[in-house]
Amino acid sequence: MKQNQKKAWLFLAPILILVTVFSIWPIIRAFIMSFKGGPIINMQYNGLANYQYIFSDPDFWHAIANTAIYAFVTVPVALIISIALAWFVFSKIKHKTFFETMFFMPYVTSTIAIGIVFRYILNGKYGLLDYLLRAIHLPAPDWLDDPSMSIISLIMFGVWASLAFNIVILMGALRNIDPNYYVLADMYGASEMEKFWRITLPQLVPTITFLLTVNLIGAFKIYTQVYALFNGAAGQANSAMTAVFYIYNKFQVVNTPGVAMAATVVLFFIILLATFIQRKITKKVNS
Amino acid sequence: MKKKKFSWGMVVIYLFIAIFAIITVFPFIYMILGGLMSYEETTTIPPTLIPHHFNWDNFRQVFAQAPFARYFLNTFITASVSTLVTLFTSILGAFAMVYLKFRGKGFIQLILLSLLMVPAEAIIFTNYTTIMDMGLLNTYLGLVLPFLVSIFYMYYLQSYFTAISPTIYKAAKIDGASDWEFIWKILVPMSKGGLMTVGLLSFIAGWNSFLWPLLVTNEDSMRLLNNGLTAFTTDAGAQTQLQLAAATLTVLPILVIYFIFRKQIINGVVRNDLKA
Repeated sequence: MKQNQKKAWLFLAPILILVTVFSIWPIIRAFIMSFKGGPIINMQYNGLANYQYIFSDPDFWHAIANTAIYAFVTVPVALIISIALAWFVFSKIKHKTFFETMFFMPYVTSTIAIGIVFRYILNGKYGLLDYLLRAIHLPAPDWLDDPSMSIISLIMFGVWASLAFNIVILMGALRNIDPNYYVLADMYGASEMEKFWRITLPQLVPTITFLLTVNLIGAFKIYTQVYALFNGAAGQANSAMTAVFYIYNKFQVVNTPGVAMAATVVLFFIILLATFIQRKITKKVNS
Repeated sequence: MKKKKFSWGMVVIYLFIAIFAIITVFPFIYMILGGLMSYEETTTIPPTLIPHHFNWDNFRQVFAQAPFARYFLNTFITASVSTLVTLFTSILGAFAMVYLKFRGKGFIQLILLSLLMVPAEAIIFTNYTTIMDMGLLNTYLGLVLPFLVSIFYMYYLQSYFTAISPTIYKAAKIDGASDWEFIWKILVPMSKGGLMTVGLLSFIAGWNSFLWPLLVTNEDSMRLLNNGLTAFTTDAGAQTQLQLAAATLTVLPILVIYFIFRKQIINGVVRNDLKA
């Protein structure tokens, strides 16, 4: 057999051409554009002005803070609920696939469409949630129009939406645990709790670290859920402004693409750093 | 076998599952029911759960007030085209990476793998600029062009192809089959399951796409479902029942596909993510 089959490049050509134009070039271009000012059709170099602008823009820090709060609350809360649900369904329910199918529904459905239902349920005047809260004499906040509630509403929506993927991945991992461990544990008379803490959880550690990374990266990029929940805005008085929403506004609404790209570069490095730290931790955990 | 005993722990567990099952499924049911309510029923206190009378007319009104038929067509075309072409380019690429030996393979693998880590949101705005430079705003080509390849799905297929023994390739070559014949007559039929899964996941992603079509289209006739839906909710204003009917129309086709192919879809998601 020949060692250098040049025809391989022919088969790879479509992928390589499109990847160069739509994955590699845009990264380089984002860097270049972040050093330019002016409207998109006539951009001129302006050095570090865009970076100076975003670092002194309180809206940018507000967006980064919102994104961080959202990520660091939604991800652990959703993960803990997912682990509990996956474990309960796996160990206590006969019709596992039925529940799995049900819990996975949010993953395949349009965030925008579901956002419309959530807006209806969370409506401060005639929404179902506030009606139920009032019925049991709890405070019924205005979830969507009160700026101090925006992030909380977004987190609720985020948790709801992220359970699906987590549960399905965790169920897959639970199925892969050698059942002999449990047989052995039963022989020694281990309790359910002991089995969970001593066998199940340690076996799930790689899956959990994987989900943590994927969820965190996903949470840092949150955009569509904000758009869906607040009908195209970033909440009352921009109270739910997130990083990608900030980038979109600067790019498309205010028409300052250079500023948007500077913010993109910063977000890109934040995500890269998060991935890097997580990999280090995973290596430590696995060794 | 131990006899099942009543315990409060079990009650708590079943309650926990039941509550979250309701929280997960209820929005879908409420969306369908709300789409059949009258305007008055959507604004009453206490809120209406089940409409007294199913207002099927809401759906007619949705189609009358906004070109949803056109949105459906646009969405179907872009999702199908990007799925079919992605399958095609991924099959060719994965074939080359698995069966052929060539200089630079390791380098290509490394580049593609590191590109997997680049968040889509970081390149979507510059891609918009590229499509604008090409003069492809408000065209089908502009809508699909960046989504005709997927490094992710190519890797997914690579794992499928690796499982097929390389001796089959050698045997086919000895029998005089060309690479092209091998791909379409042997490789593709043998990896139907994997191709099906990639096709389903890619179609669902295309159907639900939002930010990209929002950027590259601004003419109503070129909008996709989700963008049409957001425009409609802004225009329809307080008509909650029409918004919900439109949302139902958007979600229902995907839910039908999901219920038919749930096994392939769920297994596909589990498989490619455990490998990552």
